Amino acid sequence: MRLHASHLTKEFGHRVIVKNATFSVQPGEVVTIFGPNGAGKTTLIKILATLLKPTSGDLEIEGRDAIADSLEVRSALGVVIHEMLAYPMFSPYENLKFFGQMYGVQGLEDRATTLLTEVGLQRFTHEPLHIFSRGMTQRFMIARALLHHPSVLLFDEPFSGLDASAKQLVLRRVAEEQQNSKGIVITTHNTELGYLVGTRFFFMIDGRLEEVARKDEITAETLLLMYEARLPL
Amino acid sequence: MKTGIPPKNETNMKALRQIGALIRKDLELQFRSKETLVLIFVFSVLVVLIFAFAFGPIFPERVERCKLTASVLWTAFVFAGIIILNRSFVVERSDSALHGIRLTGVDASNLYLSKVVSNVASLFLLEIVIIPIALQFLDLLNGVTVGVFLKLLGVVSIGTLGFCAVGVLLAGMSTSTNGGESLLSVILLPLVVPIIIGGAKCTVSLLVTGGVDNWFWLNLLIGCSLVFLASAYLLAGAVIEE
Repeated sequence: MRLHASHLTKEFGHRVIVKNATFSVQPGEVVTIFGPNGAGKTTLIKILATLLKPTSGDLEIEGRDAIADSLEVRSALGVVIHEMLAYPMFSPYENLKFFGQMYGVQGLEDRATTLLTEVGLQRFTHEPLHIFSRGMTQRFMIARALLHHPSVLLFDEPFSGLDASAKQLVLRRVAEEQQNSKGIVITTHNTELGYLVGTRFFFMIDGRLEEVARKDEITAETLLLMYEARLPL
Repeated sequence: MKTGIPPKNETNMKALRQIGALIRKDLELQFRSKETLVLIFVFSVLVVLIFAFAFGPIFPERVERCKLTASVLWTAFVFAGIIILNRSFVVERSDSALHGIRLTGVDASNLYLSKVVSNVASLFLLEIVIIPIALQFLDLLNGVTVGVFLKLLGVVSIGTLGFCAVGVLLAGMSTSTNGGESLLSVILLPLVVPIIIGGAKCTVSLLVTGGVDNWFWLNLLIGCSLVFLASAYLLAGAVIEE
């Protein structure tokens, strides 16, 4: 099992943002979590990424306690969230080189160049990130998340702000990583793309995580109807 | 293809590699941010000039000039240091680069050590430039030998280490809050008073006599710097992870 979350709860003051979330991700599985803005998806991803500590609950990544041993499990994680997680004054290549050194990536220069080419940034390799558009930044973040060959990928709203070709890139890349037996968690409010990319679906409404179905058990249309029915008015 | 969690025996080499990469990155960012460099240089020179013109052009006797120079130097170092410390964490907080670093699995204590080293290096470089300027404007440059200048750099470097040791920890905390840049001066200055007093006293002594005539101040400077470094190193994990 790549990841197992058990009864995760996160409270900020009196507000409970994530309520008792329990699910697991197997190798080669893509778990898609659909939810509206403010449902707690980003908080859940940050807990899974060990950037936030849950108020209660357990989290195992690659069989290790990710709350007690967060430093050890982090190298198994590739994370894309709303923040850049990098230095805007550096170019994509400089950023990948720095983070690659931190991870101890072998053949780093080749790896960085290959990844930047794969995400379509080969013409902007040496331009500083602060001049990048949202879509270009997202492409860079995908490269950064894949840099160290992580076994678990956590993507928070990976399709937001992307043009059609960038969305295709995300879909293609997730499919490739799924083939490599990675465990993948994606949060989105885009049911069409979320259905395309996922193998198992959850709804997250008002902090509650609810398993819906596996892909072979549900059509995209039914999923959309169920999702719209669950959305708060 | 290597995936997953590395075995524990790789940890020490990994820590050294990470500290090296973090220091290089910090220095590169600091030297690339030219406006910050210009700001701290101009600020420090301005402090020297204001004191020099306020007390000059006819300066009091040499001993008084030495006391004035020590005050000017430590005032400039402390305020330039606050700017450098703030900048060094603002860069990490914007766009959540610090989260990116945490995700690499770096130990918070190693991250703290690398920040101390890079901030000490930046501030020390500034001090090497500012000391001769201050000595020149306060009419002391001719009376200071190379030996005294090197001893002065030694004292200043110890003070800089103590200042940055506690400053990095507090900058890490304060920049995560609203208005954190001004908060840093408020919480840092009272803590570094023993370092400033010890450093200033040693500086006066070196400029007047060419040596340290009262070891209490040097011991205070060294002791406080080491205590700050050790305690901040131990607290770094809680501050950075929380």
